[in-house]
Amino acid sequence: MSTSIQYLLRRLGFYAIAAWAALTLNFFIPRMMPGDPASIIFARFRGKLNPEAMVALRETFGLTDEPLLGQYFTYLKNLLSGDLGISIAYFPQPVTEIISTALLWTIFLAGTSLIISFSLGTLLGTLAAWKRGGRLDSFLPPALAFFGAFPYFWLAMVALFTFGFGLGWFPLRHAYGDAVTPGFNLPFMIDAIYHAFLPALTMVMVSLGGWMLSMRNTMITTLGADYITFARAKGLPSKMVMLKYAARNAILPNFTGFGMALGFVLSGALLTEIIFSYPGQGYLLLEAVRAQDFPLMQGLFMTITLAVLGANWLVDIAILFLDPRTRR
Amino acid sequence: MATRKNDSILFRWIKGIIHNKKALSGSLLVLSFILIAAIGPYITVDPNAFLDTPLSPPSFSHWFGTTGQGQDVLAQTISGARQTLIVGFATGFFVVLIGALIGGISGFYGGKVDDVLSMIINIFLVMPGLPLMVILASWLPPGPLTLTGVLVITGWAWNARVIRSQMMALRDRDFVSAAIVSGERNIRIILIEIMPRMLSLLASSFIGASIYAIGAQVGLEFLGLGDVSTITWGTNLYWASNDLALLTGSWWTFVPTGICIAFVSFGLTLINFGIDEVTNPRLISERNWRKYLPKGKGNDGITPVIKTHA
Amino acid sequence: MIQYSLQEWKLTTFASINKMKDKTFKMFSFHCVHQYILKLSSAVLICFILIFNNCVQHEKTTGSPPFVISQEQVSSFVRNFNPLIPSGSSRWPTVSGIYEPLFIYNSMTGIYVPWLATGYEWKDGNLQLDVTIRENVTWSDGQPFTAYDVSYTFNLKKTNAALDPRASWGYLKSVEAINDHLVRFKFLRIFVPGLHALTEQSIIPKHIWENIDDPVKFTNPNPVATGPFTEILRFDHQIWELGRNPHYWQEGKPAVERLRFYAYPTNEQATIALINGEVDWAGNFIPAIDRVFVGRDPENHHYWFPRVGGSIFLYVNTTKQFLDQVEVRKAISLAINRELIVRVAMYDYTIPAHPTALADGLAPWRSPTATENGDWVEYDIERANEMLDNAGFKKGPNGIRLLPDGKELFFDISIVSGWSDWIRAAQVISQNLKLVGINTRVKTRDFGAWLSSMQNGEFDMGIAWTEKGPTPYRLYRGLMSSEFLKPVGETAEVNWHRFASDEVDSLCVAFEKTSDKEEIKQIIYRMQEIFVDNAPAIPLFAEPSWGQYNTKRFTNFPTEKNPYAQISPNYPPENLLVLVNVEPK
Repeated sequence: MSTSIQYLLRRLGFYAIAAWAALTLNFFIPRMMPGDPASIIFARFRGKLNPEAMVALRETFGLTDEPLLGQYFTYLKNLLSGDLGISIAYFPQPVTEIISTALLWTIFLAGTSLIISFSLGTLLGTLAAWKRGGRLDSFLPPALAFFGAFPYFWLAMVALFTFGFGLGWFPLRHAYGDAVTPGFNLPFMIDAIYHAFLPALTMVMVSLGGWMLSMRNTMITTLGADYITFARAKGLPSKMVMLKYAARNAILPNFTGFGMALGFVLSGALLTEIIFSYPGQGYLLLEAVRAQDFPLMQGLFMTITLAVLGANWLVDIAILFLDPRTRR
Repeated sequence: MATRKNDSILFRWIKGIIHNKKALSGSLLVLSFILIAAIGPYITVDPNAFLDTPLSPPSFSHWFGTTGQGQDVLAQTISGARQTLIVGFATGFFVVLIGALIGGISGFYGGKVDDVLSMIINIFLVMPGLPLMVILASWLPPGPLTLTGVLVITGWAWNARVIRSQMMALRDRDFVSAAIVSGERNIRIILIEIMPRMLSLLASSFIGASIYAIGAQVGLEFLGLGDVSTITWGTNLYWASNDLALLTGSWWTFVPTGICIAFVSFGLTLINFGIDEVTNPRLISERNWRKYLPKGKGNDGITPVIKTHA
Repeated sequence: MIQYSLQEWKLTTFASINKMKDKTFKMFSFHCVHQYILKLSSAVLICFILIFNNCVQHEKTTGSPPFVISQEQVSSFVRNFNPLIPSGSSRWPTVSGIYEPLFIYNSMTGIYVPWLATGYEWKDGNLQLDVTIRENVTWSDGQPFTAYDVSYTFNLKKTNAALDPRASWGYLKSVEAINDHLVRFKFLRIFVPGLHALTEQSIIPKHIWENIDDPVKFTNPNPVATGPFTEILRFDHQIWELGRNPHYWQEGKPAVERLRFYAYPTNEQATIALINGEVDWAGNFIPAIDRVFVGRDPENHHYWFPRVGGSIFLYVNTTKQFLDQVEVRKAISLAINRELIVRVAMYDYTIPAHPTALADGLAPWRSPTATENGDWVEYDIERANEMLDNAGFKKGPNGIRLLPDGKELFFDISIVSGWSDWIRAAQVISQNLKLVGINTRVKTRDFGAWLSSMQNGEFDMGIAWTEKGPTPYRLYRGLMSSEFLKPVGETAEVNWHRFASDEVDSLCVAFEKTSDKEEIKQIIYRMQEIFVDNAPAIPLFAEPSWGQYNTKRFTNFPTEKNPYAQISPNYPPENLLVLVNVEPK
């Protein structure tokens, strides 16, 4: 078992280096962008502010002329102490506050749709592989691949305007209605699911095919293995062979993919969130980029990176338990 | 001797692709779009010209109607294909090139080289791609070069990883060991002995990367992060949404482009299905002889040996 | 027309969905499991729709309907009601509904409407300004409002430079309350145009703000103010409501009980809400508005786009060879088809620019001489070609004119990516200029990159706005004074095209010193003549102010027939005039 711990620690060390690289990149890229936030805010007034206002603006946002390297170390120090600074677009709201609400909604929307599409896709893939050449296997993969071929924001747009705007079946925007109060109560939760339904549906539709196909293909390879043939020859019930023997092993690669996708949940919903006006991370990021809100941009990038790394680490642990070979 | 053997691998593989229904139909679909992209701009009206009443529905003079500015949608859809496909395939090419180079070297040499390179690969792999894309695309001057660059930077690592593991697997095979023992140069071993065997992987990587590039490119342009004064499928959608196409019920301004994107990606996906099936014939899902048998037989898994090796 | 096509669209979509459903049913009919799943999911879906539709429609409504305004486009609201910070980070209408200024400049009538003050008087050779403060005004917590609140507000700005975006303390010496109803402003130097910034300052209560440690970062979650709406009834990230001030000084006003704001993150979402009749008042850009918006409900859906703003300009970099010549700039202007720009880019919502660049709101200032001399805003390709020929730039083999060194003319027109109306305008200009032998490329850039290239003078041509104000003084100062002129490579906040005239400098000084109406008029006239003679920048079209309203639930909006204020909510503090006058039906 100590080798497992060693393995996990080694991975952790790698993730630390990866995190540092990502955060450093995250510091320097926005600073290489031309223009500074103060002039941009000034210009957003399109001539309604005096040119003399620049001093006041720089003062407000605490923009300094400190050398870049100095700023970099302050940045790292603040990150370590959990201080992400004050947003410029949402002045004077601390970045952590802005991100925390958006984070919950993104995890809810993108997380749910990922879990649905992963489990449904894996199930369908298992069935398709088991009854290879059957109806499910012949029609569903191409059909899903066709849906998956559409840009997902395009499907989202069409869905929004057909079912939301045209038919009026679904709400047009936001994560919950105005009539409910956020909190742990049934009407709110039902309403939140209702609002997430359409965006989640489009996300599931385009990603389902990938999960299904990769499960089907690994499953088919697994089904060719000797131990499956042996299990069948022994006369074990076919359901048992399918689930306990074949699927359990075939799911490993899919599971790794799930871990990766889990990490990317935080950023993956960007376009869907924009189209459905869903108050999540993705929309915030675009807003931050447009307003050159460095602190917000960095905060978002950091949460996303840490989530990706964290999810990967969890997958490492999970694989350790699922796949005895790694436990050597 | 070895070369001839490889030729036959290559030959068999290509023959397999041509005889695979999925790959064939996919290729035809993609080729027809490439043809449109190549000759399209010479046969349509000027896609930039402000011709007619804005947002007029499809008619005889404008088969796909007009945009919010009175430009011809058909002309825009056709000329949009060019840059979209060029960026898509260029990204696919560079992704595979960089992936093969870094992944190949890393997998072939192993040891310290592998440690460093796979560290780099893994760092890029866990880096959140979409936010990085958005930030980079908004920072660099918009245009096809920027898009290609951004997509390559955020997309190469996955291929490198796949190619690396394939390389590691092939490197341990007897024919490579034999070649090393017989004193052949590494570069020759990689190019002559290993690469042909990785052809299907490289091809499907290229296609996968192109699909990713087309999708991501359209998404970025839809956000207004591309050069919206050029005509591409992404900017077509950007302008359609900008002119509130859906609100005004002018479906013709965004449906053709969306369907074109879907067809190209679908065609590419079909080719990939085909490649998978040729390299791993077990994956073939087309209905086989079993459907001519009385119902129930062969479906219950009682005669597994035949079935699994079909 | 629009309704018809939408209806049709809906029907066809619905039909195709049904068809698809049939097919799916057939496809799965062999497998009972799939059928079961499908049945279950469609049942769940139908239940969802039924339950949720009920949930949503059964919203509690108490009293009169809320007045729904869509002004800010954000993904979620932040509770900030600080009227002093400059960034626009505080919620609308912090400075035009919660807090109030001394006077409100009405851009439709050109009059300063007395608000928290009742009058002003220049004294001591325009070095002193005495402002009389209105009596019987109370803060929303019941405390009396006095001249001491006014002097406190201004002195707080003095100690916190971040709160002084209009840089009033660049010309002020002191602000002092003489008694409860008189405030005295003393000036460092004579600066009459400073009056505008002083009158529009939101006044804050001294008894609240003196206990605040950092007024810059103070978010003022529960504002105490003098305005018509001060009570925060509800504040969520997606929606918030603002209720009436129980102590408002204008008897019987406002007639509206509460304001409601939804977070619409995009123009598209805001437009959907407007079309669906969810919004009563908005200031959005909507393409094809007659069809999209008015056509939906011609009786109640209205818009009014008065041209009170400035003009939109094509700036040409006067430090570049070719573009540095007056005749060339005039020829470029002559080559531009402004009618087409207005149609293609602006949906005919505005009109081509006046030669003096003064839009309708500033029309009374137009000089007859300048109007006559400014014939270079017409569309005349032939004359443009002739002028360029005469200037010595001959056409080369490709039909593109050549520089003296034989290089073909080539310029970038820089536009902010995403500012679609201006991108369209630039595309038209680019096509136009080709006809007179000038090759251009429309180059879109991210806002930050675009702005810094413009400010640093590292651009060829670009479309942008101008300075705004109650008189044309700021417009022409920004376009032609040397005050903000910077060498290429340094950031210039205005005067990006880099043009300066000594005479304009001295005219500006004269303008700043006088409060005499006739003298002011002569100065402005002269500025216009200089502008028209030199064409430092090329006016394209008047900038409309966007305003849409829905008369289903509320009335008494300003209209073209009843222009008591401009309709757009995008011009605080003028919006106060609308907020106190709108009435429920």
